[in-house]
Amino acid sequence: MVIRIAAVGDVHLDEDVVGRFRPALEELPECADVLLLAGDLTRHGTEAEARCVAEEFGGLAVPVVTVLGNHDHQCDQVPQVVKVLEDAGITVLEGNGVVLDCAGGRLGIAGVKGFGGGFAGRCASDFGEPEMKAFVRTTTDSADRLGAALRSLDCDMLVALTHYSPVPDTLAGEPLEIYPFLGSYQLGQAIDSAPTALAVHGHAHAGTERGTTPGGVRVRNVAHPVIKQAYSVFHVGDQLDTDQVSPIGQSGSQRSWS
Amino acid sequence: MTHHRDIGAAPPDEYVEAEIQRLLVEDPAVAEQGITVIRRERALVLYGEVESPHRREEILRLVSERFPDVPITSDIGVIRTQAPTEIEQLP
Repeated sequence: MVIRIAAVGDVHLDEDVVGRFRPALEELPECADVLLLAGDLTRHGTEAEARCVAEEFGGLAVPVVTVLGNHDHQCDQVPQVVKVLEDAGITVLEGNGVVLDCAGGRLGIAGVKGFGGGFAGRCASDFGEPEMKAFVRTTTDSADRLGAALRSLDCDMLVALTHYSPVPDTLAGEPLEIYPFLGSYQLGQAIDSAPTALAVHGHAHAGTERGTTPGGVRVRNVAHPVIKQAYSVFHVGDQLDTDQVSPIGQSGSQRSWS
Repeated sequence: MTHHRDIGAAPPDEYVEAEIQRLLVEDPAVAEQGITVIRRERALVLYGEVESPHRREEILRLVSERFPDVPITSDIGVIRTQAPTEIEQLP
């Protein structure tokens, strides 16, 4: 069983970017069963910017599933942004999941935006001022909803989609001082509470691509400035060989990393 | 003899650096969190990557308008959007 997952985050669309991703996106059906967007679709989270996202990422021949990011919250227009995206056929996750029937099996995707807080031994605690407790409880609540969504899905393969990072590994390259604003270990804990095959996130523009949770789940930072291409493609499965890679189109993904 | 700081002088570089960093995030015309501001001997260097040439120009315009006397060097790139040429297999 192999499921082909394309993913990118932090595309920060506005009118000046519309059309830049589209040529590569048109190749998606040749190389992926689904496209995941790891949040920060817009610059300021306005309805007008969401329409740019809908134009660029809507109407593709593969299902598109997204979470929102912190930028998508900036103008307090989240309901309008979500509606524009959903009207364009994009599935927006926040504390819930979706199961897609792919050629390689049923792919379950659970998603939350997530939040900061930091990582084990160097994290914020639910203690002190109300503002501090609210900060940490936002993270904890988000992680709890991610864990519950992951555990609720009936599928053959499970993927976690967040904007904030669940591990420090994929933040390497960012200043250590800002790690608590880039992710939290509770998200990793939630991912490890279910048989997750892959966790995908964005947000850390100066981070690195690869990491793993303490429980051994592969984590990939797909922030656009990190991957430096329209999207990355992951073939996830238990039996991979060159025969399964070969049908991929001429101009798109061709070689495996191995 | 004690030397007193001239309080009429330009603000210390560290505050300028902090202000530029916040300006780039909080100004609605830019809203970029991924630009790094580095102090060098002769100039402040801006580097990072943005989604369009227009955004790079906006960043330079904003910073030079706000700090006309600060020498700025820019090394901001526009992120490529080509289709991937390799996949990653995750058995």
